Amino acid sequence: MSDKMKTYPVVDVKTHHPDMKSFYFTQIEEQIHPGQFFNLWLPGVDEKPFSVSDVYQGIMEITIKAVGPFTRAFMNVKRGDLIGIRGPFGQGFTLHQHSLLIGGGMGIVPLHYLARLLRAKGFHFEVILGGRSEKDIPFVTEFSEWAPTTFVTEDGSIGYQGLVTQFIKEIIYRSKLSHIYSSGPEGMLIRVMEEAAGNGLDYEISFERYMKCGIGICGQCVVDGSGIRLCKEGPVLNRDEAENVTEWGMTHRNAAGKRENKLS
Amino acid sequence: MKPDISVTFLTKKMSSPLVLASGVLGLTADSMKRVLDAGAGAVTTKSFSMEARKGHPCPTILPFENGLLNAVGLSNPGAEEMNKEISKLRNLSKGLIFASIFGKTPEEFGRTAALAAESEPDLIEVNVSCPNVESEFGTPFGASFRDVEAITKIVKHAAGAVPVSIKLTVHCQSLSKMAHVCEESGADAITAINTVGPGMLIDTGVMKPVLANKVGGVSGPAIFPIALKAVWEIAGTVKLPVIATGGVTTTDDALQMIMAGASLVSIGSAVYYKDLDVFSNINAGLLDWMTERKMKNLQEIRGKAHE
Ligand SMILES: Cc1cc2nc3c(=O)[nH]c(=O)nc-3n(C[C@H](O)[C@H](O)[C@H](O)COP(=O)(O)OP(=O)(O)OC[C@H]3O[C@@H](n4cnc5c(N)ncnc54)[C@H](O)[C@@H]3O)c2cc1C
Ligand SMILES: Cc1cc2nc3c(=O)[nH]c(=O)nc-3n(C[C@H](O)[C@H](O)[C@H](O)COP(=O)(O)O)c2cc1C
Ligand code: FES
Repeated sequence: MSDKMKTYPVVDVKTHHPDMKSFYFTQIEEQIHPGQFFNLWLPGVDEKPFSVSDVYQGIMEITIKAVGPFTRAFMNVKRGDLIGIRGPFGQGFTLHQHSLLIGGGMGIVPLHYLARLLRAKGFHFEVILGGRSEKDIPFVTEFSEWAPTTFVTEDGSIGYQGLVTQFIKEIIYRSKLSHIYSSGPEGMLIRVMEEAAGNGLDYEISFERYMKCGIGICGQCVVDGSGIRLCKEGPVLNRDEAENVTEWGMTHRNAAGKRENKLS
Repeated sequence: MKPDISVTFLTKKMSSPLVLASGVLGLTADSMKRVLDAGAGAVTTKSFSMEARKGHPCPTILPFENGLLNAVGLSNPGAEEMNKEISKLRNLSKGLIFASIFGKTPEEFGRTAALAAESEPDLIEVNVSCPNVESEFGTPFGASFRDVEAITKIVKHAAGAVPVSIKLTVHCQSLSKMAHVCEESGADAITAINTVGPGMLIDTGVMKPVLANKVGGVSGPAIFPIALKAVWEIAGTVKLPVIATGGVTTTDDALQMIMAGASLVSIGSAVYYKDLDVFSNINAGLLDWMTERKMKNLQEIRGKAHE
């Protein structure tokens, strides 16, 4: 882990569509686990957390969707631009046989790198990916090639129309899966936790909270219940850790650390 | 008899002389409970003001070779929200709770202290010394004898029965004179020191300062000798108990602070270097050190370096 700030040149950019791009950097650390994240600094703008979406042949990939001032500014980043990178931070996913990956929207990003590693190990896994519409789902082609993948969109532009959680039970039993990985909007994650608990399955889920330091000292990313830090003990939590948190789906804290109600 | 690291601070008993410093993990009750469970005798909240503050854009906290540089910009959820956390924490743990406050004017310090006192913390720590918000707040109050006197008096009055500690900076003309001012104005304790500087780090790639605020306070091992000397000077000047803060990372650091005269030893940046284990490790280290020397309590070495 490199906690100190250092800038690195962007070696390539891939445009998924004008509001979603992948940025490539030389791999800065030997060990990068899926589910871990980097803090990216756009000099003169701000610094924000982003999951690693892939590490392949010495290159690491970060995939960003424009949703606000920082991520919109990032859409103008070009090959050769210098970006500050610190990380990788936090605890990622561990690799298990016979798993189901459930991703929603930009939460799909860390599952992409996870899927690459599961595949490299020859592990059996299936995937359910959801989003508002096809363009909100990154890596459609890769997932389709790598594993049996069920797509679910709100507008039916790809796959089924509906919610990802409708399909969990059927796939688990049909394919005899025993471990769930999930990442996405919190409303979806809560339903995944309920389904997993209802079916007696272990899970690892990646959660998001407002982060600043990334190194476990500012206290910005702590969650109620256990008081753990998502930047350090998370962002991926196992079932015990996730069940000890009492704020899921109810509150999160803004940049001032003030609680806001939320359900996304 | 087995050695005992428990201490009495003002009137209250603490299981350990170690305190969580303000600004590190002090935002919520559950987070502070974790620190108390990890072995701290007291926790200090993040400094709070009447109203919520977003703080500076990031990067706000940067590690460098021997310390941390920070310009968080006093982000906090406001006094009302922090009072709820303090009350909640009171029901979760027996550990002591220190409420850290700041304001834009002496009057605002007073109003914030009055509000903070409602949650009945064990101490109100008055942050007159944060170096990160000068452009908005003017020079830090901690540099001016007159401001510190005014703030101490106002806060003391507003705090009622809750004791008050003034948190000092080394960036003033004379720390011993400043300590006298605190004592004469009615302070019950002194916390020393806040971060040093401000300092700066430049990225040699983009050739720009890295902190969004450009400059920030320096903490961690880099400032330990400065903090130690400040504690030694203050403890040698006034009778008030001193909460020693600055760069403490190991048992040996904590011992040095106590020998310089510290009543309590506060730990911030070391949470980065050693994680939360820093509290239990130093507690155990103090016990071992005392056992080897057949000492019963920390009182035996407090201020020894002055003799
Ligand atoms: C561990 C983690 C991994 C992430 N991975 C990715 C990723 O791979 N790809 C991606 O596109 N996005 C990812 N995000 C979300 C990304 O950090 C936010 O989209 C980005 O910070 C928004 O900044 P903004 O200025 O563009 O938008 P804003 O308008 O400031 O905010 C838009 C949304 O992002 C949230 N947000 C803003 N700042 C932060 C912050 N410092 N920390 C956490 N959330 C914040 C806000 O609460 C709000 O919900 C991740 C977040 C976390 C915590
Ligand atoms: C990230 C960070 C935030 C801080 N925030 C505050 C604060 O809000 N109020 C305050 O009085 N001191 C604050 N400080 C200063 C610490 O409480 C402490 O005085 C200083 O860091 C020296 O101790 P240390 O070396 O153990 O960190 C902060 C320090 C750091 C590193
Ligand atoms: S982001 Fe600072 S503690 Fe997690």
